[in-house]
Amino acid sequence: MEDLLDKIAYALANLEDSSSLKKFINQAVKKKLPTLEILEKGLRKGLSEVGRRYEAGEYFLSELLFGASMMEEAMKILAPQLRAEKLEKKGQIVLGTVRGDIHDIGKNIFKMFAEGAGFEVYDLGVDVDPENFVRTAIEKNPDALGLSALLTTTTPEMRIVIEELEKAGIRDRVKVLLGGNAVTNQFGEEIGADAVALDAVQGVDFCKEWTK
Amino acid sequence: MKEPEGTTPRERMKNAMNFRKVDAVPWCESFYEETLIKFFSEGLPAHKIIDVEWAMSLDGHLLANWPKFMGFDPNSYFECLNYMGCPVPVDIGPIPRFKQLKIREDAKYEEYIMETGARSRRFKKELGKITWYTMPQFLEFPVRDKKSWERYKKRLNPKDPRRYPKDWEKEGYLRLFDEYQNGPTTLTITGFYGFGAELMGIPNFNLAFYRDPELIEDMVSHWEYFTIESLREAVETFKDRIDLVFWWEDMAEKHGPNISPKLYKEFLLPHCKRVTKFLSKNKIHRIMMDSDGNTQPILDLVIEAGITGHWPLEVNSGMDVRTLRKRYGKKLFLAGNLDKREIVKGGEAMRKEIDSKLPLMKETGGYIAGLDHLVHVEFTLERFKEYADCLKEKLVIQ
Repeated sequence: MEDLLDKIAYALANLEDSSSLKKFINQAVKKKLPTLEILEKGLRKGLSEVGRRYEAGEYFLSELLFGASMMEEAMKILAPQLRAEKLEKKGQIVLGTVRGDIHDIGKNIFKMFAEGAGFEVYDLGVDVDPENFVRTAIEKNPDALGLSALLTTTTPEMRIVIEELEKAGIRDRVKVLLGGNAVTNQFGEEIGADAVALDAVQGVDFCKEWTK
Repeated sequence: MKEPEGTTPRERMKNAMNFRKVDAVPWCESFYEETLIKFFSEGLPAHKIIDVEWAMSLDGHLLANWPKFMGFDPNSYFECLNYMGCPVPVDIGPIPRFKQLKIREDAKYEEYIMETGARSRRFKKELGKITWYTMPQFLEFPVRDKKSWERYKKRLNPKDPRRYPKDWEKEGYLRLFDEYQNGPTTLTITGFYGFGAELMGIPNFNLAFYRDPELIEDMVSHWEYFTIESLREAVETFKDRIDLVFWWEDMAEKHGPNISPKLYKEFLLPHCKRVTKFLSKNKIHRIMMDSDGNTQPILDLVIEAGITGHWPLEVNSGMDVRTLRKRYGKKLFLAGNLDKREIVKGGEAMRKEIDSKLPLMKETGGYIAGLDHLVHVEFTLERFKEYADCLKEKLVIQ
């Protein structure tokens, strides 16, 4: 069993031909390995290694995207098992690009990677009003709220969202994660965010830490 | 009276790019139209609006291929240069263009088919309230697979006569370029990453290197053929009268290059080399890559590809002229890198940023001063003037 799970993790981490990964997963399903084991010890271990190599400068965006897309394919194979077993998600994230900003590439990459890591992601899209962030945070009660901004002109919106969370009395219930080209650690500290992610992998690492 | 050799803006740029002695470091900026409109609202005096060679034309053909604030030349007004001051008139876009079409709108957004064939959404103009200029949100790209690429490829015929002006007449243009001295004569090229990402979108283009390498190879091979053949007439006519090749790539983000060095080397490097070799054979050696983000992990290969200059060197992404100069010496002329976030503060923060970089760049040469991106809307007119006055004084070499 371990051997097959290692093969799954290895195939994903090394971005082997995606047909190899599919083959190993199908074998694991046929052998009736527990779905949670396939996910945790196989796929997520492999994806986590992709993220580590990206952070270490061994992989780049091209590899990160391919790794996340391999994970998506693998999840499709496992979909019947996942539906039947109703496995719990690692946590929930509400995500969106702030008001006045319609850039979404970074946000979408984060979403792919977070879903691959086992999070349920509610993507509110781009140009999201603070009220919409707060309303969804109240409805979904997520572990993290991800705010993205590419433009320096729209980063003040992040402060407004945090203020609105405070006004609604739910600031303590949700971690606020900032991402995007325009944000810096200093800015995050100034506005009282919980973390600033330089990239998708770092962002997912913060979410993992918060949901341990 | 004729200016002494090497002191015209064009000569100064050429000398700087070639690491030759200059009397003052050249200064180049590009402006977002949104910023210029803001400057007007802040009191940019109407009587100062200058109608100069922006509308440089030959027999009615406008050479500059960039949307302009007609009748106003910010570069002349602020006494800085523009990389696109004197463009070589070759159309390297899809011909025929897709018909730009508004397909829907609501109270806030407009959705368009763009000239490249992409479907995009942008804010309606609402000046002073939200940022409406800047990149749109792309909803769909024209190339998705082999079939859509084959369709698109038909628009990339290098021999299409519409690529050159109707009045294309070599001698006339040669005379014009000789007479026009306000900045470099620039040939624009879209690099291999920029080309693919523009047609497929960054995620899909990046994935295709793994999912469909044959498609990538076909796309970049055609782009090499198209680039060389569509530019051949201009390059072989003008040769080293072309001072600068502006090679647009936009291939990196804050973390690093979008594409790994391994993929770049395997798929793009050979094609880049053949294009730069073609330019080099025609005595064109100053080729400046335009890419935002942190390009450092891939720069060795970019230089191997034949690129000899780099702009805008975003500080926010970890780019630094001092490090790059130490690492690459005269292999790479450098442009930009003045941190917009510090410059926009004005006063001491601004001076400190300039003084931390300019002295070394003056000493080692091969530098064109400027911000580390376009002049964005956070600049007030007053602040930009403060920066302009301060910088101009410091650019002079005693």
